[in-house]
Amino acid sequence: MSEPFVSLSNLTLSYGDTVAVPALDLDVVEGELIALLGPSGCGKTTTMRAIAGLLSPTSGRISIDGRDVTRVAANKRGIGLVFQSYALFPHLSAFENVAFGLRLQKLPEAEIRSRTEAGIATVGLAGFEGRKPAEMSGGQQQRLALARSLVMEPKVLLLDEPLSNLDARLRLEMRTELQRVQKKTGVTMVFVTHDQAEALALADRIVLMKDGKIEQLGTPHELYAEPATAFAAEFMGFENIFRAEGGNLVSDHGQMPLGFAAAAPMLAWRPSGVVVGEGPFRGTVSASSFAGGHREYVIETPLGPIKADAPIESAEVPLGESVAFDLPETTARALAA
Amino acid sequence: MKNLTAWAIIGATLTFLIGPFIIIIFAGASAGEALAFPPDGLSLRWYLKVFTIESFRQSFVLSMGLAVFGTLAALLLGVPAAYALNRYDLPGAETIRTIVASPIIVPGIIVGLALLRYLVIPLNFTVTMALFLAHTALVLPYAVRVVSSSLNNLRSDMEEAAVLLGCSRVQAFTKVVLPNIRGGVLAAFILGFVTSFNQVPVSLFLSGPGVRTLPIDMLAYMEITYDPSVAALSALLAFMSLAIVFVAERLLGFSRYV
Amino acid sequence: MFSSTREGLALALPAAIFALLLFIVPVGILLSEAFQSDTGWTLQGYVDFFAKPLNQTVFLRTLKLGVLVAGTAAVIGYAAAFSISNLSPVARGRVFGLIILPLMISPVARTYAWIVILGRTGIVNDAIIGLGLSETPIRLLFTETAVFLGLLQLFMPLMIISLLSAMENIPRDVIPAARVLGASWFQVFFKVILPLTKEGLVVGGTLVFTGALTAYITPAILGGSKVLMLETLLYQRVNVANDFVSASVIAMILIVMSFAANLLLKRIATARK
Repeated sequence: MSEPFVSLSNLTLSYGDTVAVPALDLDVVEGELIALLGPSGCGKTTTMRAIAGLLSPTSGRISIDGRDVTRVAANKRGIGLVFQSYALFPHLSAFENVAFGLRLQKLPEAEIRSRTEAGIATVGLAGFEGRKPAEMSGGQQQRLALARSLVMEPKVLLLDEPLSNLDARLRLEMRTELQRVQKKTGVTMVFVTHDQAEALALADRIVLMKDGKIEQLGTPHELYAEPATAFAAEFMGFENIFRAEGGNLVSDHGQMPLGFAAAAPMLAWRPSGVVVGEGPFRGTVSASSFAGGHREYVIETPLGPIKADAPIESAEVPLGESVAFDLPETTARALAA
Repeated sequence: MKNLTAWAIIGATLTFLIGPFIIIIFAGASAGEALAFPPDGLSLRWYLKVFTIESFRQSFVLSMGLAVFGTLAALLLGVPAAYALNRYDLPGAETIRTIVASPIIVPGIIVGLALLRYLVIPLNFTVTMALFLAHTALVLPYAVRVVSSSLNNLRSDMEEAAVLLGCSRVQAFTKVVLPNIRGGVLAAFILGFVTSFNQVPVSLFLSGPGVRTLPIDMLAYMEITYDPSVAALSALLAFMSLAIVFVAERLLGFSRYV
Repeated sequence: MFSSTREGLALALPAAIFALLLFIVPVGILLSEAFQSDTGWTLQGYVDFFAKPLNQTVFLRTLKLGVLVAGTAAVIGYAAAFSISNLSPVARGRVFGLIILPLMISPVARTYAWIVILGRTGIVNDAIIGLGLSETPIRLLFTETAVFLGLLQLFMPLMIISLLSAMENIPRDVIPAARVLGASWFQVFFKVILPLTKEGLVVGGTLVFTGALTAYITPAILGGSKVLMLETLLYQRVNVANDFVSASVIAMILIVMSFAANLLLKRIATARK
């Protein structure tokens, strides 16, 4: 790995007496698109606000491009932030919103004009310069907020839940847009999200956070295929997670014999890793729904309900019927406690 | 039928509320000597006479000055306070809020008396100074309340965005916050102006030789005579207030701030 | 970004200190004056004040007028606010504008009109004599009725505004629903409208009652020295007799009554839940 561009070391963040993030270490490489992923309250937004300088750390160090910025004011850090609410200035036109930061730098009018126009064009909003934010759609506001940050040529661009306020179609469009802009400008991006699909699709690397600590850090593929903990596994769609104790699978509901020697204290299966229709175990189908390429079952077992996806070609098991199933070793993911 | 009842009730209420004001306009336009309605013929003599009464002229200027500068001072104190109470997590915020709002709770006559006894007499404040301070204190709660409600509608991440784009804290306030709460500040000014200009009880005890607010001067004039000039002046003042409010309503939808 | 307490206090404190020094401290000293005597703390000022029959009369009259004005304003206010809330949005806006209009007009002007209406040669007396109901003009000014009318006219807009904003929060189809379920209009009012608007009633009631309690101009112009209320009595005591102890007692009564009214109305409102 090359020299870190953004580096957080031993960063501790707190609100009053509540410690939101205790001693966080994180390195981001230049030009990387990194996702801070986690449920609400995990400290991801707090960390992002600290990088921006909107929150002073209790202790620890933040450096950007080799310079210690821990005590540098937010307006001198050269960081862009696209707010979840966009935070566009309602009294200014789209053009003036984008030109806002450039005007503060007292640049020549001609330069302000050309850079603003270029910025607006980059996000595909040419022709909308005269509109007020209130006269634009959610997607357009999102792009405008992006342009407003980008024209400042920030060293790092932070994005807070960039896709959460958009509908499904715009989400896909904006996702592509973000990747395109990132390729084009090469800006280092850190974005915060609670949606694992978004993180998996967009990021070069994902920082999965829990209770202010890094639970797991890796490429989308690593996190998806090899979650290290039960928390990570659950976040990545392993919906059936059980303890392995003395040759048995154990849950809060009960236990079942395990067909193989467990290599870890916990084992997890995705619904797609559960075999339906054959195997040593039996359970009762309590819910069944058609999901396009496969059929989703909920099977009541001594371990409680298990979620299982069966290929659409297999015979449908009626509700209330008993069915054979298997939790095979091949699809099991071994987890640390 | 139901609609008719509704309109009858509304009509009766409005007649009771606004009727007396219409009567005043005509009573002031009387051609006769005595205050009467319907007037003994119509003329503008009393309306014109108002402008020739020296004490009315003096007290009008004083009341105007108090209303304008008292309200400006209240805004100067109130806007930063409203901003701090709205944006910062302050220790004792509730106490500060209560202190700043307290002038609205205590009857004005008591405020006037207290200032007379403990500022004017022992500390040698002039009556005009005491009036100015009293009117500022009186308008302060309105200024804080109206500006606060505008600030509530403005998300604080807008200022954070401005700072990240390079603004200092002060610039973020002047370039982003102020333009967006302009309506609220203007509304607070108008509300404060009208409140201060029409205020009587606070000013009751705060008067001296040649220093009397207009409403107090009108009360004093009425003790001497009931001629229609006070009616004429009342009508003129009412028109002035209405004109201000009408313009404000047209410009910024004033009534939603009241 | 807004975490600096010092910055926040620097912005908020000037206003607080101003109000404290120019308002709370002087008023506090004034209020304490009735409790002081040459020998120390005393309640003698209060005992003396309430020992005088005139003061008792004025106190009870002020209380009575305050309750009457607030009660009448509530009854008319409900009728008016309900009628207004059923208008089309445009008409509602216009009528609302007319309701708040009087609030912008000087109370001196608004009260003065009643002299024209109730005076010896006023409209009402003209009508009475014209109809032959009386040979000579009847004294209408300087009566409790005159003060009552003046106060009602002055403060009713506050009640209507409070009730209107409370009525805006009544869910749209609740009243038709109650009607369909068989409630009479009487039941609709007491079982639906009143419980849903009681907060508006508390606000409006407090505003009108305190307003009536602490009004000076109306009792001064329409009541004169014949119908003294606490505020006019206070002014008279200070101006005529330099009696600052009575002034302090009256000030305390006015403040306590305002707070008590607010607390009482809130208590009543929550008890009905």
